Amino acid sequence: AMAPRRKREPALPSSLVKKIFSHYVKVPVARDAFKVVEKCVEVYFRQLSNDLEAYTLHARRKTVEEADLELLMRRQGLVTDKMPLHVLIERHLPLEHRKLLIPVAMSGNKVIPHK
Amino acid sequence: GRMKRAAPRSTLRNLIKRHKPQLRLAANADLLVHLNFLLFLHRLAEEARANAFENKSKTIKSEHAMVAAKVIK
Repeated sequence: AMAPRRKREPALPSSLVKKIFSHYVKVPVARDAFKVVEKCVEVYFRQLSNDLEAYTLHARRKTVEEADLELLMRRQGLVTDKMPLHVLIERHLPLEHRKLLIPVAMSGNKVIPHK
Repeated sequence: GRMKRAAPRSTLRNLIKRHKPQLRLAANADLLVHLNFLLFLHRLAEEARANAFENKSKTIKSEHAMVAAKVIK
C-alpha cells in the first residue's frame, strides 16, 4: 500500500534546485544524485534557520537583519576582507535584487555634467 | 546570465517560518538568504565535481554528492 501523503510543506521546487545545481556543477548529474542534493538542501535550511535564530536571540532581536546574514557568511568563510559581501551580491544576484541590497552601488551612476 | 534569476522570496520566507515560526525577517534579509543558498549549492557542486573527477567519473553519482555533503558541513 502507498504511504499516507504528508501535508504539503513549503519547499523550494525541486526543478529550481536541479537547475541551480546543474548550472554550477557543469557536468551531467545522475537522477539519484539529485535526490542527495535535495536532501542536502533540506538539511541546509534546517541548519540555517537554527543559526539565524541563534544570531538574533544573541542580539536580543526577533527579526533577522541583513547584518546577521553577513556575519553568518563571514563565519562560513564566504565573506572575507578580500571577498566583501557586495561582490558576492553583484556576482550572484540579479540586478533587481542588487538594487535593493546595495542602493549605494546604484548611486554610482552619477550624471556628471559635461562641459 | 540565465542563472541570475529572481529569488523565490515568499517560498524562502515560508521555509524559514516552518522551522522557526516566531522568527521574522527584515525587508531584504531573504535576498541574502537566497545568496547564501546559491553559494551553498555552488560549493556542493564544486565538491561533488571534484569527487567525481577523483573517481574518474564523467557524471555526478549519488556517492559523489554524499561525500561532497560531508565535506562542506
